[in-house]
Amino acid sequence: MVLNFVTMKKIKYSLLKTIDITGLTFLDPVVRLCYGEEPQVQLKKIGQWIIVPLIAVFVALFVIYDGFIVDTFKTKSGKLPTSSKIYSSYQAIDQLHDDELAKEKAYNLSGEEREVELKAVEEKISSVAKALELAGQAVASQQEVTKASIASKVAPIQAEYEALKESIKVAATARAEELELFSQSMTPGDESAAEKLLELVRADDAQDTLDREKRNLIKEKISVTLGEKSLDLEEIKAEETYFSERLAFLKTYKTLLSTENKSLIIDEKKGRISAYEQELTTLTGADALKKAKSIVKQESVISKKEESEYAGSKTIWYQVKRSVLCVFTGFFLGSFLAIPIGIFCGLNKTFMAMMTPFIAIFKPVSPIVWLPIILILVMGAFPNPDKHPFMEFLGELPLIGVYKINPAFIASAITVALCSLWATMANTALGVASIDKDHMNVARVLKLGFFARLFKIIIPSSLPLIFAGLRISLGVGWMVLIAAELLSSSEGIGKFVFDEFNNGGSDSLAKMVVVVFIVGIIGLILDRIMVIFQRLVSFEGAPATI
Amino acid sequence: MITKENSQFVEISNLIKEYPNPYGEDFRVVENFDLKIKEGEFISLIGHSGCGKSTVLTMLAGLNEISGGGIIVGNKEIDGPGPDRAVVFQAPCLMPWMTAFDNVMLGVKNVYPHVSKQERIQIVEYSLSAVGLGDEMKKYPREMSGGMQQRVGIARAIALQPRVLLLDEPFGRLDSLTRMELQDVIIDILAKEKLTAMIVTHDVDEAVFMADRCVMMSNGPKAGVGEILEIGFPRPRERKEVFDDPNFFAYREHLLAFLEQRSHIKGEPRVFANGEILGFMDKERVEVIRRNHEKVS
Ligand SMILES: Nc1ncnc2c1ncn2[C@@H]1O[C@H](COP(=O)(O)OP(=O)(O)O)[C@@H](O)[C@H]1O
Ligand SMILES: [Mg+2]
Repeated sequence: MVLNFVTMKKIKYSLLKTIDITGLTFLDPVVRLCYGEEPQVQLKKIGQWIIVPLIAVFVALFVIYDGFIVDTFKTKSGKLPTSSKIYSSYQAIDQLHDDELAKEKAYNLSGEEREVELKAVEEKISSVAKALELAGQAVASQQEVTKASIASKVAPIQAEYEALKESIKVAATARAEELELFSQSMTPGDESAAEKLLELVRADDAQDTLDREKRNLIKEKISVTLGEKSLDLEEIKAEETYFSERLAFLKTYKTLLSTENKSLIIDEKKGRISAYEQELTTLTGADALKKAKSIVKQESVISKKEESEYAGSKTIWYQVKRSVLCVFTGFFLGSFLAIPIGIFCGLNKTFMAMMTPFIAIFKPVSPIVWLPIILILVMGAFPNPDKHPFMEFLGELPLIGVYKINPAFIASAITVALCSLWATMANTALGVASIDKDHMNVARVLKLGFFARLFKIIIPSSLPLIFAGLRISLGVGWMVLIAAELLSSSEGIGKFVFDEFNNGGSDSLAKMVVVVFIVGIIGLILDRIMVIFQRLVSFEGAPATI
Repeated sequence: MITKENSQFVEISNLIKEYPNPYGEDFRVVENFDLKIKEGEFISLIGHSGCGKSTVLTMLAGLNEISGGGIIVGNKEIDGPGPDRAVVFQAPCLMPWMTAFDNVMLGVKNVYPHVSKQERIQIVEYSLSAVGLGDEMKKYPREMSGGMQQRVGIARAIALQPRVLLLDEPFGRLDSLTRMELQDVIIDILAKEKLTAMIVTHDVDEAVFMADRCVMMSNGPKAGVGEILEIGFPRPRERKEVFDDPNFFAYREHLLAFLEQRSHIKGEPRVFANGEILGFMDKERVEVIRRNHEKVS
């Protein structure tokens, strides 16, 4: 299909406009270059806005961080993770998510599908087990090799140590004998002799210390050599760990397809019931009553099982989604308060004066202070959250129900609202108060009433500032949320970090660094979204179509 | 009865405006401003920059508080702004988030609360067509030139169907071609609608071409009416005819002479009618200018 010139141009300009509105200006020269517009200029811009930042990231990560910082700083649990380790931690976190999804699916699988899947898993298990065995052997043989090489390295040092020890021992004995002799040759009352003896003893003591240090130096050398890690061994060990983790997963997966499978358990119980029913026809009296009761009990167990869901552990993406839901809940809650109050502040100086002390005092309060207070209040409002009708209602909502909103979630959201609403409130008040005088004159000439003024003039003209405030609020809210979740252990990114901190596993630090990037990127996306809204309500770009 | 009422449709008497100066003292910008305007009359208000023209106009519009004296419009003392007096500002002051249509509709909704939606739409469409924007109603201000935006401003004013139209240097920011177009637009509308109007301007040609009477303000502070010049051209006016009329230069010269020589003089306002002027001014000079003008055109 041949696009004609005009359509091409139209596409170009709508692309450029989209880029402009979303604020992704670094893409602008790429589009222009594709259209062959001043290649020299565009290449220069690409160099400046794409290549240079990439180089900066590359240098920061691989040269400064991997090459310098990682070697310089030690942590409680060893070294800082290198960038490749951080990346593999990311993969591990992501893998965990996929695994959980697979497990959930396996739990709910039934019929022929289940059998097919079970067979496939059994095959996989045997192949992974084989791989694990191979890896184990490789580790063992590599360990031998490493041991041998270390032993060969240690042997000469050990010999040196023994020799040193021997020579020190000999010298020490000689000195001791000398001292002994001298002390016996001393005549009482000879001051100079006494002084001499003191000096000799001191010299002997100093020599002892010196010798000990010498010995320790070599000892340390030995222990360092013994502790030397072979890179090859580490690699093979990592492989072994990987296979053993896979195997563990596959085994759980298998049990979920077989003994713990929902449909299997239900079928089994149903089978038992029909057997009981058969038996029941042959019984009378107390026995029959007992049988009937146990049938009814089994039936209720089945219906419970049918409603049950796979209860896996919470994975990072689930937590990310829950955090985003929480931040928006808090953000909307805050904006819902801040915008009307801001409008009234901007309209009425007295109301503004009334609000000022509250704003001044509450604005600087940290989320760490708000959260416990709010948590107590929320928990007071929902003393038995699982049975509370509001919580049950939230749990049954179509898209939100999955995230199991609980008091911790609500408290985190309210904390987000309380910490983030100030920017929106201040900007709204400013926008309303600084409305163009000419526009107000027009409103007066046209005799607009209060509501027409508010909705036709005041709010539209303050929208750009309101949205600038909302943008700041969302950014603040996102920062506050992570702290709030950490404190309230509301299932989310903050809790993920806290769990990792408490875990103290070897890759915890790497996982936390991964979270740094996840939090940063999501914050960036939220900000971009707000920028787009901000551009859409600004007058120059008013109702612009992307 | 009717003639008396008509001759004083707008009556500004002994108008005073005081602004507080930086030391908190009251500072009289306008003092003893007297003017009577007949119904359907077109007044131009001219004077040096800062003398208080806008102040007088905004007081008449009800946007500016009156410090002393009074203004009566149609037998009623004014008290704040109202749709009987529409204003066209120097800047178009359109709401940038609304289309031309919505900008005009904004006032219409409030002024005609009992009129059906269909009729309101008709009023808006009529006003926009009257200023020559029949095809551009759905445009946003940012998509329009300054002249087009000012046309919307005029449409918004006339859509209120006011009895008095107040224009404060409405073409001050426009280029001379656009300015002429818009002058014609206003003249046409006024001819059709029979509105009473006052235009503040510092363009002498505009003041003479458009108005029935030119009110020259003396310099501030304590500015008032200096002289009033009656412009005798018949209506409807054609631009070329007016500019070719020998009297045009006489009027023009009179205004310029006032601005250059007599604007500092305060006292009883002097009224100059059509016949008197030629006697007052240097006839030969008028002739010379006229001949020069003919040569050029
Ligand atoms: N809000 C105000 N406060 C104080 N002084 C003002 C105010 N508005 C206008 N003035 C003063 O009043 C005088 C007349 O202003 P204005 O009516 O705008 O003049 P112009 O004839 O140029 O339209 C000027 O000297 C100006 O400084
Ligand atoms: Mg002015």
